[in-house]
Amino acid sequence: MAELDITDLRAWLLREPVSRRAYTVLQLSTKSGLKGYGECGEVAGEDIETAKRLIVGRAATAHEAVRHTLGASRVQAAVNIAMLDLVGQFTKSPIYQVLGGPTRNRARALASLEGASDDELRARLKERHAAGFRAFTIPLPPSPARNQGQAFAIAVVRRVETLRALAEDADFVLDGAGSLTPGDAAVVAASVERFHLLWFDEPCRISNLAAVRKISDESATPLGFGRHIEEPGEVQDALREEVIDILRPDLARHGISRIRRMAALAETYYIAVAPHHHGGPVGTAAALHLAASLPNFFIQHIPTPDAEPDRRMRAELTGGSIERVKDGFAALPAGPGLGMTMQEDALEKYKERGL
Amino acid sequence: MRRRDFLATSGVSLWPACSVAFAPQAALAPDAFRGVGSRVRITGMKIFGVSLTPDSDRPYVFVKLETNQGAVGWGEATLEGKAGAVMACLDDFREFVIGADPIQVEHHWQSMYVHSFYRAGPVMGSAISGIDQAMWDIRGKVLGLPVYKLLGGPMDARGVRGYYHADSEDRQELLRLRQTALLEGISCFKSGLPEYYEWIATRAKIERAVRHIQMLREGLGPEIDIAVDFHAKTSPSVATIICKEVEPLKLLWVEEPCPPENVKAMARIARRTTTPIATGERLIAPYGCRELIEMGAVDILQTDINHVGGISALWKVAAMADASGISMAPHACEGPIGALATLHVDAAMPNFLVQEICSGVRPEMKEKVWEEWFGFPAMRMVNGRFPLPEKPGLGFELSEASLKKFPFGGTRPMARVFHQDGSVAEW
Repeated sequence: MAELDITDLRAWLLREPVSRRAYTVLQLSTKSGLKGYGECGEVAGEDIETAKRLIVGRAATAHEAVRHTLGASRVQAAVNIAMLDLVGQFTKSPIYQVLGGPTRNRARALASLEGASDDELRARLKERHAAGFRAFTIPLPPSPARNQGQAFAIAVVRRVETLRALAEDADFVLDGAGSLTPGDAAVVAASVERFHLLWFDEPCRISNLAAVRKISDESATPLGFGRHIEEPGEVQDALREEVIDILRPDLARHGISRIRRMAALAETYYIAVAPHHHGGPVGTAAALHLAASLPNFFIQHIPTPDAEPDRRMRAELTGGSIERVKDGFAALPAGPGLGMTMQEDALEKYKERGL
Repeated sequence: MRRRDFLATSGVSLWPACSVAFAPQAALAPDAFRGVGSRVRITGMKIFGVSLTPDSDRPYVFVKLETNQGAVGWGEATLEGKAGAVMACLDDFREFVIGADPIQVEHHWQSMYVHSFYRAGPVMGSAISGIDQAMWDIRGKVLGLPVYKLLGGPMDARGVRGYYHADSEDRQELLRLRQTALLEGISCFKSGLPEYYEWIATRAKIERAVRHIQMLREGLGPEIDIAVDFHAKTSPSVATIICKEVEPLKLLWVEEPCPPENVKAMARIARRTTTPIATGERLIAPYGCRELIEMGAVDILQTDINHVGGISALWKVAAMADASGISMAPHACEGPIGALATLHVDAAMPNFLVQEICSGVRPEMKEKVWEEWFGFPAMRMVNGRFPLPEKPGLGFELSEASLKKFPFGGTRPMARVFHQDGSVAEW
């Protein structure tokens, strides 16, 4: 099966012109001339060189074995996605079929609303709702101090009420961005209980499980954690300590396979998975395949830049509509591998630098 | 009338909004996965009871799935002592299987498990295991890759490290076994305990058990790994004493030092000794392994691909165990299909330790039959490893005709053993 041997590895660091969001697109070539693509976060040139040295000559099918060769390298996520892309192309099947799916025929989608004031958020909600989204992440209002008082709780509730009034069919995730103390987070979680949010995301940092447990003990609002998690063992800890209601591992950090392994742990706790994704459209494609391979997927965040040049860049890269959402769901890519047509000229056009 | 037909004729608008919310979801439309599923469909399911001897207490249960694309898949659902029940359970799943797209095996696994309402015990777990393996066999054949490559392996291209059983009470025999092992590259053996134990054991019995394990180490030598299967014959109280006594021998593991139902009891033994503890062959589904893994007490998990829920479930259990640094040494004491299927999952496990096969260093009647069936010496090691199949799917062909020589001899009970006073003993 020498045809699946990897012969080259290339990478491009891309940056969206307005949002300045950056991600790395990685390309693997095989002896037979296939090209597979993957994505991870911003990495250094040396990381790419090291990965290239370790990967070239390996078979694209050995994606699990190679994952270990790469160790803690951030390039691991992109290599994993690109290898699965190659296996999918070789087997003429979407990645989710290679992995035992589809477990669903579309993937529920989540968009972020960004803005400082409730008015800005309302404007964003209208736009994203018109674009097809029915679930939205909203930021907490500015929090001036530790140990927030009543005014902060009122501002949170007002924000949720304002946005809910605008879209009866919408669901919301409150994003704490790891900014609160567990005590404040518990107050907020309890104040918004009656709104039946999808969940309260990253209300505080998750480094100390006993502290985090205070939030889940004091409120029924589901809690989302995981964007900073590095190791599956941390997932096991969080599950054992019952502090987590929805698992949010970061796609750019883990790729498809590591998240599947974390999802297997979460499944036995009846915990759903909603991968955190703050990268580019290749990552979105990978996330949709991951979603359709998991029994316990719930929703996929799809980055939706405000600026037209950023949106154009994302569409040009994958030559299509991977990130399009209708009635709250994204369609699954149907072609072999990632199911998208990577535009190499767009990679060149938008690259900040080759790696 | 099916609910979706009813909706089509009556019109959803007749339903007040709140009632719709409480009404069950319509059955999955036949085209629910159009465009995202494959075109492969299962057209037939055949169930085989296979007794190598007419009075076999371990008749094999095999399942064969046929498809509209010509590819067929084989799986194993052997359940010791309950063959008839598993065959009936497989038949209960017929409606789940016929017409299904075997590529989306995870979807069907979930459906069999969840839609059965009563969660899987060993009978249903074994039936799901057989169907799951057969679907993976088809998946590999249709996608053109051995299953271990679909799973991202091999971790080690030399094959899968294995062990044979060494059931000997004789020191000279063990010394000869050591010579054979060193010559053939076999790195590990497993043996059992010499007697049956009550929940408190007499001094004489404990000392005989310890001497037996010491003899294994003396006979096999320091470079060969030794596992000792207590087979749940001991209670936590008795097992702990023996495990502590044999700590200096640095066993690879002690297996099932107590029965499997009480996870805290198992964990208590593990906490009280540095001898590594292995267990799990009787656990069903990833859910059944959750508590044991969560407690992080045992060192090695031994889930069985024919009971835990097939390839899909064994892979998940291994992934779960890996997060706690637990190694995998899958159990395999039934027929050859499940054993060969296990090799594929082993080859893709980062936390794989060693693979069982209930055979000795010299092939006997069973191993000869297997070789006849497959045309290669299935589950025989070369240089201490099971070679990896190269063909797509599970990597073998099997003809129905070759099974006909071994008709189903009926369900037989497993060994029934009793203490001196006639009370029931663990086997």
